[in-house]
Amino acid sequence: MKYAAAFLGVVIASLLTIAMLFTAGWVRPPILGQQAGFRGLGMEQLTTPAARRKLELANVPPDAIPMPPAEGPKATEVYKNVQVLKDLTVVEFNTLMAAITTWVAPQQGCAYCHNTDNLADDSVYAKKVSRRMIEMTRHVNTDWKAHVQNTGVVCWTCHRGNPVPQNVWYDNVGWPQAAGFATTNYGMGHPSAANGSTAMTQDPYGALADKNAVIRVQATKALPLNSNGASILSTEQSYSLMIAMSQGLGVNCTFCHNTREFGQWPESTPQRLTAWHGIQLARDLNGAYLTPLKDVLPANRLGPHGDAPKLDCATCHQGANKPLLGVSMAKDYPALGGTPAK
Amino acid sequence: MSAFENFYTQVQVWPEKPEPGVAGDRVQREKGALFYYWAGVIGNAQIGPIYLGTLGILSLVFGFFAIEIIGLNMWASVNWSPIEFVRQLPWLALEPPKPECGLCIMPPLKEGGWWLMAGFFLTMSILLWWARMYRRARVLGLGTHTAWAFASAIFLYLSLGFIRPLLMGHWSEAVPFGIFPHLDWTAAFSIRYGNLFYNPFHMLSIAFLYGSAVLFAMHGATILAVGRYGGEREVEQMIDRGTAAERAALFWRWTMGFNATMESIHRWAWWFAVLVPFTGGIGILLTGTVVDNWYLWGVQHGIAPAYPHLWPPVIDPAASGAAQ
Amino acid sequence: MAMLNFERRYRVRGGTLVGGDLFDFWVGPFYVGFFGVTTFICTAVGVAMIVYGAAIGPTWNLWQINIAPPDLKYGLAFAPLKEGGLWQIITICAIGAFVSWALRQAEISRKLGMSYHVPIAFSFAVFAYIALVVIRPVLLGAWGYGFPYGIISHLDWVSNTGYQYLHFHYNPAHMIAVTFFFTNALALSMHGSLILSAANPPKGEPVRETEYEDSFFRDAIGYSIGTLGIHRLGMFLAVSAAFWSAVCIILSGPFWTHGWPEWWNWWLNMPIWR
Repeated sequence: MKYAAAFLGVVIASLLTIAMLFTAGWVRPPILGQQAGFRGLGMEQLTTPAARRKLELANVPPDAIPMPPAEGPKATEVYKNVQVLKDLTVVEFNTLMAAITTWVAPQQGCAYCHNTDNLADDSVYAKKVSRRMIEMTRHVNTDWKAHVQNTGVVCWTCHRGNPVPQNVWYDNVGWPQAAGFATTNYGMGHPSAANGSTAMTQDPYGALADKNAVIRVQATKALPLNSNGASILSTEQSYSLMIAMSQGLGVNCTFCHNTREFGQWPESTPQRLTAWHGIQLARDLNGAYLTPLKDVLPANRLGPHGDAPKLDCATCHQGANKPLLGVSMAKDYPALGGTPAK
Repeated sequence: MSAFENFYTQVQVWPEKPEPGVAGDRVQREKGALFYYWAGVIGNAQIGPIYLGTLGILSLVFGFFAIEIIGLNMWASVNWSPIEFVRQLPWLALEPPKPECGLCIMPPLKEGGWWLMAGFFLTMSILLWWARMYRRARVLGLGTHTAWAFASAIFLYLSLGFIRPLLMGHWSEAVPFGIFPHLDWTAAFSIRYGNLFYNPFHMLSIAFLYGSAVLFAMHGATILAVGRYGGEREVEQMIDRGTAAERAALFWRWTMGFNATMESIHRWAWWFAVLVPFTGGIGILLTGTVVDNWYLWGVQHGIAPAYPHLWPPVIDPAASGAAQ
Repeated sequence: MAMLNFERRYRVRGGTLVGGDLFDFWVGPFYVGFFGVTTFICTAVGVAMIVYGAAIGPTWNLWQINIAPPDLKYGLAFAPLKEGGLWQIITICAIGAFVSWALRQAEISRKLGMSYHVPIAFSFAVFAYIALVVIRPVLLGAWGYGFPYGIISHLDWVSNTGYQYLHFHYNPAHMIAVTFFFTNALALSMHGSLILSAANPPKGEPVRETEYEDSFFRDAIGYSIGTLGIHRLGMFLAVSAAFWSAVCIILSGPFWTHGWPEWWNWWLNMPIWR
């Protein structure tokens, strides 16, 4: 009995060790490193050649469908019910439709959005969503240059051939808990993909949909001004959000921060400024474009709380600190608000 | 170098009956002891007898209450699934009340009430155990150094979970129960208060923690190295110095020009170990109450190095008054 | 001068590892030996380089002095003196001094007829240092991954290097190392206080001996490890703390580039509950 117990213990320990060694995802040298700050400061991004290759393969943009010269009649003169792309000619309009089809619904084709008997018909919900998304894309490319600069975005940036982008989020219900008077822990205490497997908030994205959410938690003066500083709870929420951002961008904390003091702007890298505008961008798009779609989308496209899918950093970035590793697809599509290359 | 270095006991000699121990008042030690081979490889083979007594039993009962409250709440947080309880155990938490509660004494059970109760029972258990350590030393006619060393650890525990939350006016400042949750708390605490590395009492605490490792490595190794001269009989060597104590002293005198004595090394040890939680506790109590951002405090006091900037200065985009 | 009253009969020739009788002498309380000479040279050069590095730096403020390793672009080559070369020289000197010190401890152990526990224990600390400034930088392919020499600057390096893995507390080897550090402090306080309590009983009581020590810990926690055992345990805890510290930083980077919390997914995704 004594030996049986010892034997069982050894077997379990060995199995756990083997599982840990072979399934944890260890890497080995050579390691590719990139230094950000002053030497010896430890601000570095690390990756492996294999991970680098995988990222490059995942971010090969599709061939551009060349936009024809803007000649001929306007789309509004030929087609009925053109509400957004009024400035395009018919050939431009058709080319853009073809491009959008390959980016968003390559399997399903035109019928994903259109009633094929009457292309002008608005009866398919996806068409109304697409129209709103085209407006959103133009808005991003023209009004959010602080974040997207002249690189811009197109449908592919998020969709990558999927009708619904792979990285979207819904208001989380959290891990199912016993009802009654057992502790709630305010949504903490469970690993999730969003919180990067920590025990912090399972659903850190709230601040990306709420314009008034306060992300900054650190005191800006050395000595206490009053007792109403940020709580540990809100600090963990911000930390969890930052982990989600890191994962979306495929970088670590030191990409933006000198972590000796996260809040200090003079200590931060220029990338933090871009990321700050990214947070404002996400709030703008979630608030003005995505959240209202809950009235348009069918029930199977809504989250457990009946909310529309929303975006976070990973939606466009998909693990690359520049979406598509900095390749500009938008430069070929001024119709989507892209800035043409000089 | 191939010599036997006395890292374990090669030949164990067991008495026929377990050592009953010396008499204190009203303590019976005839039963409850046994020999265990693997314990004898490193130290004494005899395990037990343990003395329970009123203080010990009360302490264990209160400790059981605390563990029970924590464990059942954790289990409830996975909807009573036994598999998920094991799977997520390191992540599971019992969090303190919300910030809005302040220092409320009766928060809803599901929002920190259980945490307060578990904290109360755990504190009772620990304080009773302290009294027990004090009593056991006195009964045997020993000094109470162990109890006072333990008191230092209790000071850190109370600083984290009770005194500092009282000073801050929020139970929510306290540490949650849970393995990973308390690590998250630690990291968040450092971030919120501007990097604990710049807290001088945190520096001292770490220095004493590392110092304790250095001291125990030095002391343990020295005593083992003079084991062939009976160096481990330290109290005897203190009173009646033998060659073991002489060699141990000379080793360090020749190595670094200074040596402790058989007694003073234990004073060094006691102070280093005691100052780990003591300085740490002071550092905790100052954080948020007296200093809100340790990095900025460090800048004010001229300890933060200025690194060459490799890019134009980055300016807070929200400084003009825009939203955060 | 500077000799304890019993010291003269221990000051005898012999036991050296290198150099025969040449360096077999004392200076004040210090034993010299061949490795005392090499320790002195390495330390003198290293400290001089640190002082020089401070002198060409922007500050004499003790907290702010920073002698940083080279930029990553130098890889494993030598860097210009003022751009990390000094750090490289100081590192070489430090390793020379630490290794000499350990070997000098071995010589002193031999002279005093002691076992080698002290140099063995110290070598774990040296290993932890070498892990930080040689093993990990070599595995990562650049000296620039070493930590800078400065009181606060090395803390900033620890902070940033930790946050490269999003939340370093989730590093399993770091957990083990921290546990050993805390347990070591606990064991040290229990041992120190037990000896002091036996040697310093209440007024009027005789000094207590081993039987009382054993009885106290058996009464209190059900086990007394014994006079020899506590020193074995203490040395084990202390060297384990150093060893696992070295492991936790060698893993970070060369063998793991993501956030450490993610590492635990292997546990969450085990087939038995998937």
